[in-house]
Amino acid sequence: MRHRILRNTALASGAVIFAAFGAAAEPFKWASATDPQTMDPHAVSSAPVLSFLNNIYEGLVRRGKDMSIEPSLATSWVPLEGENGWRFTLREGVTFQDGSAFNAEDVMFSYERASSEASDVRSWFAPVTEVRVVDDYTIEFVTSAPNPLFPDSIANFMILDKGWAEANDAALPARDAENFATMNVNGTGPFMVSSRDPGVKTVLTPFGGWWDEATHNVTEATFTPIGNAATGLAALLSGEIDFISPIPLQDVAQVEGRDGFKVLEGEETRVIMFGFGHEHDKLLYSSDVTDKNPFADPKVRLAAAQALDMASIDRVLFRGKIEAASQLVPAGISGYSEANADRPAYDPEAAKALLAEAGYPDGFSFGLKCTNDRYINDEALCRAAASMFAAVGLNAELSTGPVRDYWPQLREDDFDMYLLGWSPGTFDMEHPVRFLLHTQDDEKKLGSWNFGNYSNPRVDELLPLVQQEIDPAQRQAYLDEIVQITQDDVAYIPLYTQPLIWAAKENIDLTQRADDFFMLRWVTVN
Amino acid sequence: MIAFLKRSEGLWLFVRSPAAIVAAVVAVLIIFGAAFAPLLSPVNPYDLSSFSLFDGLIPPLWQEGGNAKFLLGTDDQGRDMISSILYGARLSLIIGLAAMVIATVLGVGLGLAAGYYGGRFDAFVMRIADVQLALPAILTALLIDGIARGVLPADMQGDLRIAVLTIAIALSLWVNFARTARASTFVQMNKEYVQAAIMMGQRPARVMFVHILPNILGPLLVIMTVDLASAILLEATLSFLGIGLPPDSPSLGTLIQIGMQFLFSGEWWILWIPTLFLVALVVSINILGDFLRDVFNPRLR
Amino acid sequence: MVYFILKRLVQSVFVMLAVAFLAFALFRFVGDPVSQMTGVETSVQDQEKLREELGLNDPFAVQFYRFTTDMLRGDFGFSYRTRQPVAQMISARIPATLELGFVALLISLIVGIPAGVYTALRPRGVTSQTILMVTLVGVSIPTFVIGIMLIFYFGVKLGWLPTFGRGGTVNVAGWETSFLTVEGWRSLILPALTLGVYQLTLTMRLVRAEMMEVMRSDYIRFATARGVPMGRLYFRHALSNTLVPVITIIGLQFGGVIAFSIVTESVFQWPGLGLLFLESIRFVDIPVMGVYLVVIALFFVIVNMVVDLLYVAIDPRLRVRDAT
Repeated sequence: MRHRILRNTALASGAVIFAAFGAAAEPFKWASATDPQTMDPHAVSSAPVLSFLNNIYEGLVRRGKDMSIEPSLATSWVPLEGENGWRFTLREGVTFQDGSAFNAEDVMFSYERASSEASDVRSWFAPVTEVRVVDDYTIEFVTSAPNPLFPDSIANFMILDKGWAEANDAALPARDAENFATMNVNGTGPFMVSSRDPGVKTVLTPFGGWWDEATHNVTEATFTPIGNAATGLAALLSGEIDFISPIPLQDVAQVEGRDGFKVLEGEETRVIMFGFGHEHDKLLYSSDVTDKNPFADPKVRLAAAQALDMASIDRVLFRGKIEAASQLVPAGISGYSEANADRPAYDPEAAKALLAEAGYPDGFSFGLKCTNDRYINDEALCRAAASMFAAVGLNAELSTGPVRDYWPQLREDDFDMYLLGWSPGTFDMEHPVRFLLHTQDDEKKLGSWNFGNYSNPRVDELLPLVQQEIDPAQRQAYLDEIVQITQDDVAYIPLYTQPLIWAAKENIDLTQRADDFFMLRWVTVN
Repeated sequence: MIAFLKRSEGLWLFVRSPAAIVAAVVAVLIIFGAAFAPLLSPVNPYDLSSFSLFDGLIPPLWQEGGNAKFLLGTDDQGRDMISSILYGARLSLIIGLAAMVIATVLGVGLGLAAGYYGGRFDAFVMRIADVQLALPAILTALLIDGIARGVLPADMQGDLRIAVLTIAIALSLWVNFARTARASTFVQMNKEYVQAAIMMGQRPARVMFVHILPNILGPLLVIMTVDLASAILLEATLSFLGIGLPPDSPSLGTLIQIGMQFLFSGEWWILWIPTLFLVALVVSINILGDFLRDVFNPRLR
Repeated sequence: MVYFILKRLVQSVFVMLAVAFLAFALFRFVGDPVSQMTGVETSVQDQEKLREELGLNDPFAVQFYRFTTDMLRGDFGFSYRTRQPVAQMISARIPATLELGFVALLISLIVGIPAGVYTALRPRGVTSQTILMVTLVGVSIPTFVIGIMLIFYFGVKLGWLPTFGRGGTVNVAGWETSFLTVEGWRSLILPALTLGVYQLTLTMRLVRAEMMEVMRSDYIRFATARGVPMGRLYFRHALSNTLVPVITIIGLQFGGVIAFSIVTESVFQWPGLGLLFLESIRFVDIPVMGVYLVVIALFFVIVNMVVDLLYVAIDPRLRVRDAT
């Protein structure tokens, strides 16, 4: 079932293939740590999949180099009159890669597919109550409440061709078995898949019939997943690949110091934080305090925050490449609260005093859970934090593990304090409020990543107001209040924004977007 | 009597083999350092409050930026390298030795019995060995780790990591012993002294452990040394694959795994000093194993 | 003999079942596949629904029964990670691992046998001692460190050899081979060396030990006395006498090579079974892990059986015992 188009034409010898690469104008090779699990844009909502498929499929709207929303398959959109929702005017003259024309039926079909039970992206459409095709190039999304951010929230909602999907038995995303769309693509985007060997390599070629003007000069792009960071770096430095993301922080100097290579540094939108078991009635991993939960007291939580020396963490562990965080989104994300941009200062003495005041003059021991393969330097960070906590009497019993059994442990409340990174999928402050700060509510699907169940009635009250407010100033006022409350409560200890480190050969021009998506259409090989 | 002769002959061979002497000295030094790590180390690397990020990434004394407080420099956490290495070697040796002992007892016991009883029991043991061989060490480690995590209470798991790892390593090593013991036992079973002992009605356990075992000890000793070396390396490899010891109580293997991150960043000492220690330790154990082989002159299976 | 083979075949089935059982027991502890299959925004209810659909909530016995019966019917299921048929994924990766193991073994034989003979004939020579020492250091450095060192020296610093992957492969009747292109061979060198170092040392030491043994035997002494030329004596008489046990053990080692290749494949991004297995662990891809283990078990069982047959053929004493 594998595509062998390329191989079949040059079956006689692999050497021929390589000769062909050399002769072609601007082939481009890149690597990243994880292979996209599938080519189906609705089957798995993971960063590797969405990032990769954004080169092939397109949505109604798309994000520009600065993350702003711009027209894509829709040329304009306006709020509906007389009811909640949005009307999208679609682009005419767009064709899919197999040559069939794009129209509102394809959007309707893709909506039904993406919001079906088998889809992993259906949460994007939770506010949608009805979708109406007005004519071939107009479609309306009706929402249950005013939803000013709806167009932003569907930037990764990718459109499939109805005829193609139905003809190939792929009308629904593959859930437990593969279907045609798992390995094959037919988007409207700038690139098509010419061969794919999952976990080994995927070759993309430009789509000549793309509606937009191509600004890249890539004639063929080959993607290889390389899991081992040192191997990936070696592949770049030996010239076998042109670009890799990410590279380890500590190797930045090594790459920069070499002729012919460059490092692209940026801030991701992911904020790394510590969370607490707010509603636990006792500590699980303590050897001295076993009858109550000291972290239920905001004073203790503040003491923990004050014990952390972010400057040293930045200098030694992150080589000066992180930005300390004050709230759950970094500055620059919409809804960021400028009014609450300060984080608790490093002050071990004050921390000790607070602990004494809270009734723990000698401190106490507790369990700290961390991942060791999820975030940059996550394990080293937790070790450093544990050592800093120990300096004020908070003796962390550190346990680290792979992410594959981390979330289940957190869901089972198996922690006293834990590490979490959060990237706002909608690039708006509302996102972490919905997932991390609202009281857990399975019914309404709120607070689903609020493992410690931080709960403040005022925050719960403010969330719907934020979601429905059209006036930006009023909306920001609501968000400022939420940030203020959660900072006072020390609901989490936001630590820093995760850095984004890419490396490329000097002759490659590319754009690093804050969501860590790699867009081939912005690549120029000089 | 025979044992005594062999021993004295061994002593004589030992004096004549410079490599063995050097290896023995190195091994003894490292083992000594590891055994008395708490007395010799400047700080206790397991005590989180004994080091600080402030002191992170300090190079060894002889390099620019070195600090007399940290002879061999510090790692990215500001932890003294000497202390980490001594404590790490201690853990590596404890795990290696314990795994080897468990594997020996298990493997030799089963191998002896399989060779002695033969037939169905032999087939049974050998098929278990097949099952074991089919499970790569990494998987055995995952299996044991998983079961321990599922069965044991949460707060005990940290302390039990070492035991879990030891058992996993032991399980992936015992087959060697079993196969060797079994093959040697087969050979011994045909010897007259064994047949005589059996005819005289001695209990199987007595025949196995009193008569056969001393005569197959040679090849087993060699395997023991080789497997001690393998166990230490296996522990390092498991760390590389992410199922070794946690980095806040590192073994030599974990230290190397941590150091791998700094392979190209200029902080060479974080990787190469523990690696050097590990290699020195493993090489000397292997040389001693070679030496033992020369003494017993067995054929390694 | 036929009886012996039949008996072993029956036993082999039990070995495979035991491996499948153990493997299956383990899966429940590796992690939660559902949280790896879904995005962060997927609701808890949707996750639970998926878990139910995949049968992960069924009792252990039910899941195990389903797994084995499906497998017996030739239905290997679909990967949780890629949704592809597992049989297809595994069979696509087998050539890479077998070819790597084969070349590693070849290196170990081509270098190991002559080195073993040489060190046996001149046990006290400086060259012999150096060879012994160097290989000893070689097996005392963790494989992953050796691999990365080779990559950086030959790949990055000298730029002679590729640092990852298989390079050019050619598909011959469904078998993706590296052997037919220059690029394929160049890509093979470093991983095969990394994987071969350990085997090389082992082969060399085995040949050396056997050779020394044979050289001391009466048979060779008589030949020397008869005036057979030394070169012919070493290679025709002595070496050929050592080879049977050596080859037997090398057969066993091939199994070890396959198992050891997990680390090498991970360092070199070599798209073989080992790498697939590691990726599957990371994503808790239970169907792939299960089939991988059973395939490896099958492989070991076959190799062991062949080796045991060879043993029986060589050593009549074993045959007598096995007949009783």
